[in-house]
Amino acid sequence: MEILSYKKFYDDPIQKGKPVAKTMETDCYAVFACRHKFCREWCPDYVAERNESYSSYGMHTSLLALSRGQAKLEEMGNEFIHCLECGQCELKCPNTMFGGDFYKYSTTTVDLVRKMRRDLYAQGIKYDGIEEVEKTIEEHKQYDAGADAELTSWAEGLDLPRKGDVVMYVDYYNAFQTREVPIAAAKILKAAGAAPAILDHPAITTGELLDTDLDAWLDGAKRNVEALKAAGAKKVILVNPHEYSYFVKEYPHYLGTLPFEVVYITDYVNELIKDGKIKFVKEFNKKVTYHDPCSLNKLCGNYQAPREIIAALPGVHADIEDPVIQWKYCCGNGVSSAFRKALPDISYKISTERMERANDVGAEVLIVACPHCKDMFAETKTKSGINIEPVHILEIVAECMGIEV
Amino acid sequence: MSKIDFSKFNYGNASDHIKELEDIVGKENVLTNMHDRAMRAASCAPFPMQRWGEHVPDVVVLPGSTEEVSAVMKLADTYRLPVVPRGAGAGLADGAHPLAKGIVLDMKRMSEILEVDDVNRTATVQPGVNMQELNKVLEKVGMFFTDDPASYGTSVIGGRIGTNGWSVGGAGGGHIANLVCSMEVVLPDGEVIQVGKGGAKKCRNSSSGYRLLELFFGHQGTLGVVTEIVLDCAPKPACEFPSFFGFNSYEEAYECLFQFGISGIKCAVNYIMYDDEKIDFLRRDDEAWIPLPPNIKCAVMATLAGTVGEVTAAKNQILSIAKRMGGAYLGEEQAWGDWATRHDRYHVAEHCRNKEGQVVLMSWHCEDNCMIHSNLPKFTHGLHDIVKKYVDKYDGIFNDAGCFIYGGGPYRTWGDYLAEVDVFLNETAMTPELWEAWLDMKREIADFTLDCEGSVSICHGGCREGDVDVVTDRELAGGSFMLMKKIKKMLDPNNIMNPGKYNLQRAYED
Repeated sequence: MEILSYKKFYDDPIQKGKPVAKTMETDCYAVFACRHKFCREWCPDYVAERNESYSSYGMHTSLLALSRGQAKLEEMGNEFIHCLECGQCELKCPNTMFGGDFYKYSTTTVDLVRKMRRDLYAQGIKYDGIEEVEKTIEEHKQYDAGADAELTSWAEGLDLPRKGDVVMYVDYYNAFQTREVPIAAAKILKAAGAAPAILDHPAITTGELLDTDLDAWLDGAKRNVEALKAAGAKKVILVNPHEYSYFVKEYPHYLGTLPFEVVYITDYVNELIKDGKIKFVKEFNKKVTYHDPCSLNKLCGNYQAPREIIAALPGVHADIEDPVIQWKYCCGNGVSSAFRKALPDISYKISTERMERANDVGAEVLIVACPHCKDMFAETKTKSGINIEPVHILEIVAECMGIEV
Repeated sequence: MSKIDFSKFNYGNASDHIKELEDIVGKENVLTNMHDRAMRAASCAPFPMQRWGEHVPDVVVLPGSTEEVSAVMKLADTYRLPVVPRGAGAGLADGAHPLAKGIVLDMKRMSEILEVDDVNRTATVQPGVNMQELNKVLEKVGMFFTDDPASYGTSVIGGRIGTNGWSVGGAGGGHIANLVCSMEVVLPDGEVIQVGKGGAKKCRNSSSGYRLLELFFGHQGTLGVVTEIVLDCAPKPACEFPSFFGFNSYEEAYECLFQFGISGIKCAVNYIMYDDEKIDFLRRDDEAWIPLPPNIKCAVMATLAGTVGEVTAAKNQILSIAKRMGGAYLGEEQAWGDWATRHDRYHVAEHCRNKEGQVVLMSWHCEDNCMIHSNLPKFTHGLHDIVKKYVDKYDGIFNDAGCFIYGGGPYRTWGDYLAEVDVFLNETAMTPELWEAWLDMKREIADFTLDCEGSVSICHGGCREGDVDVVTDRELAGGSFMLMKKIKKMLDPNNIMNPGKYNLQRAYED
């Protein structure tokens, strides 16, 4: 699957003292001209803050104002950090809904935000709280420069091959922060007779780097593609939906069509369940609901497999909201974790709001399919006291298979 | 409207009072960056992009309570700082478009639903709540707030009141001015008052005193800031029936609209006619507009909502009338497709074309004239004559997007109508000359409306550049505008609230 951005003019930087290109001005005008502001009403950040400056309408209008001499780039440091990169505004924009098919035009706010964060960063125009983000980037660069053994330490004892048709790509967040997720994935696939290979040295994919230094991020992308090719991959399974969105959207955009198929872990596991290769031996007797990760649902339109997996779990009582209703939700982390690091209070507010909606449907367990969501909700549960347990879908699948993670 | 000279009002500079404003609402709720201010210069109405800078406010303030609004108003009154309240920025009469800069009071942080009373059927809300979010809460107890503007998903209660907005469903459920029991208003000097139907908060009617509640509808931010509202809620309808009928001619559709209107059906939400030009415009984009048979020139939509019994009976009556009038039922796909998307589809910027048929991005605008039934054909045909003259002269700058004709209501489906001609314009290409052409078009439309015994505005407010002079100097010249000026001067002696709007600066000339 490839989802390609086509606005090549985003590659031209917006710079202090230089006119904004006409193509960019027209692009921003399309959102300003719409004026419906549907983008605003479902924006998780707007719902939390009620400041329309940070809505898709606000950001496009601010840039339009810049092109017309009515804004100053040097004042815009904080303008683009309030975006979660969740993509709801793109989907709800009438330009996308009613122009996307017929006119081949749509609103691409996430691409715009990433571009603007990079352009501003390159000119030293920084947002408040960027130090935490820079720390993460540096940490992940160190991982990238470090030893193979460290990057695959999560897989110790699992005896996973280093070459094969099917390779599971494990990003640094999963490898270091939420290693129970790749461990569950590997154990499930092994039990189903489909043990994946892994890379000795996955390269950097960190979203915060994509938001600051495209060249450095693309260097990691190229090395990942080469390493996966060298490992013999015909199919690459992602266990982090953020990385999945990068592999299906950004990698083909910048590097061309990839020489392997890209699959998200929930799609892969769902197929194994349908093929009878995954067998459940225990019930999961709880009231559950499911939170769609923004990167999977909104950025990639992928929402069916987790629902089918949950429906197949024995004993489960599920009440899950429609994926379109969930356009309005976010765990609070954002697709690049820069939002959570720079704006922890707003992040917590958004997360609390989502957990309260889970509470409304009477859930005991909030199932997630993303390691960042799990971590964010776990923190919110501790801080807020909302008594709902966030659990990764793979952990429940493993439990129902009788596998200990 | 000629350029207004504000120098005689001796306004202070809001930029000199940032610290005091921060002390009132908190530092994070005072926005001084240029882009934060520039984006709040425009509302939904056509925007004079060529002179954007003239309308950028000095500061944006986001209050969180009545007390904060009151304190900001006291400060503004003391230092003569212009204040423009802003709701969702969804208004089409430019109410929130600052003419004299100053403070924009962005009210969207005040968005709490304070009480839902399912016995007395009221909801008490802050002004930043929108109808869609409110109805999500109300439906849990079987209640429904019937105000249903085209901007249903985005506009907020405070803006609906300030503009005296009209509602698509108003022929059945009433318009905003019919749906408020009482409200709290902060006056220009910061005093907080309660106005209602008499003195009670939740009563729908009272004969005590003057009808002062109505004074605060449609004032476009010139008289005060609403901070709390008690809304009148209806039972949630058990079922709906939207239906479209196609006609071979304007005359047949027009007659059907009349027969629907006088049918006596009580559960009608509204009847809407689409004229030839509107159908042509929608046909530009077959993917978005569910294809119509080629012989269809005009369409009429009938929407019913109520109990299953009344809607079932009314549905049969509607189908029977339409058939008798020569209408072809266009099917469920058409009906639900449009019903579901009526709020957002028809004004997508890419629909517009130049003479060569090339797509030109333009911004949608609709005129919102009120017209009596007998003059509708003459009026709507005349509207197109006016608009097409400008479309022909200025290629790629304007587009005629046809007319919608809706029952005017409230609570009735006959007599007068919102007859709106939709006009798109290319704001990025605006020059002073083109903008003047746009204003000339609006003046012509406004004058023609009065010639046809209508009102310039049934929906948005008559305070837009271009037609405001026709409203104040012709439509309201029988004494209404004189009284407006007296009231304005009495409540706002320093002319700090939305100065220049509705030509009310003239109140201070004598």
